[in-house]
Amino acid sequence: MSPKATPVWDLWPGDLQWQPMSPQLRTVWVLRSLLNVLLLAILAAVPLCIWLGWDGLLWALGGYVVLAGLRAWAVARTVRTWGYAEREEDLVVRHGLLTRRLSIVPYGRIQLIDLSAGPIERMFGLTTVQVRTAALGSTTEVPGLDPPVASALRDRLAVRAAEVREGL
Amino acid sequence: MSDEPAPPLAEAPLGPEPYAPTAPPQGLQRQRLHPLTPLLESFRFLTAAAAAAGIQAFTSRNFLFAIYIALAAAVVGGIASLIALQYRGFVIWGRELHIYGGVFTRSHRTVPLDRLQSVDLVRPIRARLFGLAQLNIEVAGGDGTDARLAYLKADRALELRAELLAIAGRPAAAPEPEAPEGEPVDRDAGLLVPQVTVKRLALASLLEALPVQITAILVLGTAFGVTGSIFGFSTVATTLWVGFFAPALLGYLQSTVAMVNRFLRNGRFRIGRDGGNLLIQRGLTDTSHETVPVDRVTGVSFDEPVMWRSRRWRRVEVWTAAVAQQSATATRSTTALPVGDPDQVAIVAAAAVPDLPSVFETERPPVRARWRMPLAWKKTGAALTDRAFVVRHGLWVNTHVAVPYARIQSVKVTQGRIQRMQGLATVRALAAGGVGHDAVAYHRDAREAVAMAAELRDRADAAAALERPRLS
Repeated sequence: MSPKATPVWDLWPGDLQWQPMSPQLRTVWVLRSLLNVLLLAILAAVPLCIWLGWDGLLWALGGYVVLAGLRAWAVARTVRTWGYAEREEDLVVRHGLLTRRLSIVPYGRIQLIDLSAGPIERMFGLTTVQVRTAALGSTTEVPGLDPPVASALRDRLAVRAAEVREGL
Repeated sequence: MSDEPAPPLAEAPLGPEPYAPTAPPQGLQRQRLHPLTPLLESFRFLTAAAAAAGIQAFTSRNFLFAIYIALAAAVVGGIASLIALQYRGFVIWGRELHIYGGVFTRSHRTVPLDRLQSVDLVRPIRARLFGLAQLNIEVAGGDGTDARLAYLKADRALELRAELLAIAGRPAAAPEPEAPEGEPVDRDAGLLVPQVTVKRLALASLLEALPVQITAILVLGTAFGVTGSIFGFSTVATTLWVGFFAPALLGYLQSTVAMVNRFLRNGRFRIGRDGGNLLIQRGLTDTSHETVPVDRVTGVSFDEPVMWRSRRWRRVEVWTAAVAQQSATATRSTTALPVGDPDQVAIVAAAAVPDLPSVFETERPPVRARWRMPLAWKKTGAALTDRAFVVRHGLWVNTHVAVPYARIQSVKVTQGRIQRMQGLATVRALAAGGVGHDAVAYHRDAREAVAMAAELRDRADAAAALERPRLS
């Protein structure tokens, strides 16, 4: 890895205390990607069966194993890039494997804080925190937190948002 | 609404009773809209009826039938408008404006005047014919909260606008610079810059559209010539023409129409400043009055189409949270000056955002990003000025976008795959409002980009702390 290829967030001037996501998050996302690829495989199996007879099923299965393996590997690596840090005045979230993204949301501009949990996330006891500002299309997500951590984060954010209220 | 005797308003016989405690008492006198309102609103229907009658009369020489159509349209329209008028109206009750409407589906909209953003006076040409006007009322807070009062007599609309603004606590606009008694000599009194002359505006629109027009004509012409010489012109005229050229031509026509429309909309452009508001009047055929609260301005953009450069003209647009909060279709910004000299641009910029300069020194992205945008690279840049984050981009229309630090909502840094190999990153400062209303500094050096983001955040906090606390 050349020095130029360091992720953009490692260049931040000053220290950031990156908080990791829950270790369960990797399991959840890998499972979810496996399910998604399975749906694709089932969809692809129908025309393959019509075309190749019952061999088509084998092809679909083989394709599924390969694709799912690749996808799971990519997802597992992506999960590791997620992180968030609470600074004095703002929340910093980083993620992304191919495209690196770094979002900085000031507490004073937070309009809404959502907690949400999908079915698979719930099975593993995870929660996603979503933070919205007045700018459309700038929803910042912090996925895969343990529920106590998530609600603690939400409470801290809400308190800070009320303290430093800034306008539009 | 005092000059004509109003027929008694119907008691609301159908529909949900306004039990909500916010509803004004039943006995309160509703103010009614102008009696011609339904007629104007069914303008298209009437035009269609007239056209049908005309065609009928012309083709079959059946004048009696045409008269029947016209009569039927008149009777049906008249009765429908009489009924509709009974249920439409508005009440100012305390600090709320209640608007009623609808015959079968009753509607009742409450507009909290405390959160009033702006009241715009709009006069479409069909309303101008009868001396009427319409009020567009914008309220802070998401979609579907803006309201429309159409139509009112023009002077009544102006009064009502002043009244609403006064209730909202915004100092009412000094009773309209457009007083009919005003002698034409001091037309420009109270304006920030002299009214934009039609000649200059026409020339500017033409120059702006010229590159597009020339390109379109060249492309279409060469395509026609090349295909024609290969396949023979008669084939081209029939098959290819219908299949390929016609849609392209349609798009070209549409852009031309858009240009003319913009010219008509920006004709007789006047901008003034009144207290904390920018007052804009414009329109050759459809006149409109707009009010832009200065403390809601989230960004200013300066456009410089390529053909304007030799004349040093620029266009100023102002982004406001109020405008951007309308529905998705209206993420447009308000034009604050359709075309102006450098000093005019400077005046308008300073009026929109205090102390905002209009000329910026931006720093280009590193040379290794040049192959990504070989032509536009020279015209791309970003700068952190005293008051605002300034970015510059665009080849045909070179745009400077200035977002004051206090209006930056959140900051994002993204780094694509190839950017990472090159050590580049893109910085985005998001302002309140729609997608596309953000300042983007493309392809900065990665280290600089992150430092820029951190600096932006610090300056945003510092700038916001200086402002007096505001609600929402």
